[in-house]
Amino acid sequence: MYQLGLSAITRKKIPGEKLILVGGLIILLMLLISIFAPWITLWSPTEIDFSAFLAEPSSKHWFGTDGNGMDVWSRIAHGARLDLSIGIASVLIAVCLGGLIGAVVGYIGGWVESIAMRFTDILQAFPPFILALTVSAMFGRDFIHLVLAIGLVFTPAYIRLMRSEVRAVRERMFIEAAECAGNNMMRILFRHLLPNSLRPLLVIAPLNCGWAMLTLAGLSFLGLGVPIPEAEWGSMISTGAADVVGGRWWTSVFPGLVLFLSVLGFNLIGEGFLERSNQRQ
Amino acid sequence: MRVIALILKRLQRLIPVLIGVSVLCFALIRVLPGDPILSIVPETATAEDIQRMRVRYGLDKSIGTQYLDYMKGVLQGDFGTSIQTNRPVFEQIRERLPRTLELIGYGFLFALILSLFLGFLSAAKVGKSADHTSRLVVLIGNSLPEFWFALVLILVFFGWLDWAPAPIGRIDSNLGFQPITGFLTLDALITGNWQAYRSAFSHLILPVITLGIVGAAPMMRSVRASALEVMGSPGYRCAVAHGMKSGELFWKYVFRESIIPLPVLAGLIFGNLIGGSVLIEYVFSWQGFGQWALRGLLLRDYPVIQGFVLVTALFYVIIFLIADILQAVLDPRVRV
Repeated sequence: MYQLGLSAITRKKIPGEKLILVGGLIILLMLLISIFAPWITLWSPTEIDFSAFLAEPSSKHWFGTDGNGMDVWSRIAHGARLDLSIGIASVLIAVCLGGLIGAVVGYIGGWVESIAMRFTDILQAFPPFILALTVSAMFGRDFIHLVLAIGLVFTPAYIRLMRSEVRAVRERMFIEAAECAGNNMMRILFRHLLPNSLRPLLVIAPLNCGWAMLTLAGLSFLGLGVPIPEAEWGSMISTGAADVVGGRWWTSVFPGLVLFLSVLGFNLIGEGFLERSNQRQ
Repeated sequence: MRVIALILKRLQRLIPVLIGVSVLCFALIRVLPGDPILSIVPETATAEDIQRMRVRYGLDKSIGTQYLDYMKGVLQGDFGTSIQTNRPVFEQIRERLPRTLELIGYGFLFALILSLFLGFLSAAKVGKSADHTSRLVVLIGNSLPEFWFALVLILVFFGWLDWAPAPIGRIDSNLGFQPITGFLTLDALITGNWQAYRSAFSHLILPVITLGIVGAAPMMRSVRASALEVMGSPGYRCAVAHGMKSGELFWKYVFRESIIPLPVLAGLIFGNLIGGSVLIEYVFSWQGFGQWALRGLLLRDYPVIQGFVLVTALFYVIIFLIADILQAVLDPRVRV
């Protein structure tokens, strides 16, 4: 946001500015919807309207109702809480865990490093969605386990990224200066190396948030994610799938549209970040 | 020689990874809550019956022994027996893998053509509306939940327009077509059965479009970037200044160099496609490899999950190996 303000003053073109702005607005909108969900919906997300099963969108049910007579809009708005928070939390965990491990093994080196790298090799030998699928089937389907299962998929990539960044920064003069000044290892690692190596991780984080949301919805779609009747976009699409073939489109199309928009928002931000960091080099 | 050295070097690193993969998946699956035996015995079964079944599937032994027994079998092509269907896992893999590979293969081909076309188009028209449009298309494709997009395609092309066949299976079942290799379009061509070919082809269209559009983004981005780089290089400008024909310019300069990074990306795309195929098969009742594994996961069928994870990881790693080799062939600068 600081950069956006700056560009307005200096009139200098900052690459990716528009992308970040549009993506940011989309995500902001989604966050607002999820925060104010109870106040902008007429029904509770699991409330059954016995007079309206599979009802078309109307003034009473803005996005219609699903086969259980639940209000689609209310479920979308409340589902946003789960989808957004799992999407963001899993990437946060991966950044913290991967960044920390990557920094430590990149700084220490030696056999610790080679063991960690072989382990990431093994984790990366699984196609990402398959890994998330298997691990979530193992761990269980509550919030924290889904976050861990999805976060685990990204962690190896962050470990690798952080490791190679730390190894490059380690050779620079100011680290040598810090060492000469008598700082201990912990201080050099956390005070000097980590903050100066974090940028590339943060650049790809928004892209991963989008992917994490798609993965969560995919898992729920297959019945391995958030259990029904909890409101979640993927499982909503799944319950509506049979109705779609029969032409009753609103039960699946609306939650999917919102999911698509949120992922697009994250991807736009990520795209903008990439453009900026490419420019920098 | 260079390529052979590369293959040997990669294989050296590959084998420990595969062993690690098998250990990890073996150990992790046994952490799964739920007992596979309890899901197949009748409710009246006594503790003795359950114990007998456990012995029958070798589940009474320690994890270490189970692993060694299993790996001994795998090396001989025996992936164990499915606890649910009581059929050899290897037989089921052979039956179902071609169905998924056919889907993924066409999906990849479509993604490749799409990204080459859009990538070169937007590089040629950089900054103009064609460039913005094709980048937007790719960005949207990259953000689409594939299972939802497939549903929307079904809604439009089957539900409303009635152009596509019903999203159930891979071919009209009343044709009574007997597959040979399991790759239906190939089988239909071999036997010269045009009716079967048309049916199989029309069933493929919607899932392949879905997979292709969703998977095209990284390749298109790379093609565009490298095409732009070539077109800005002194060598290219010199060739233009000397009046080289545009066809020759494209094939010898732009195309040749833009495809170099593609093999490595292709490995990545393949991984996405194989993950996406689990979802797509579910939507189209494809009865492929992914759907089979999903059933195994839901019912805690250990041998099925293991077989699936091992074979998928093997394919994934081999694709990356091929990608490495292809890149070394395409780009003489790659050091072995």
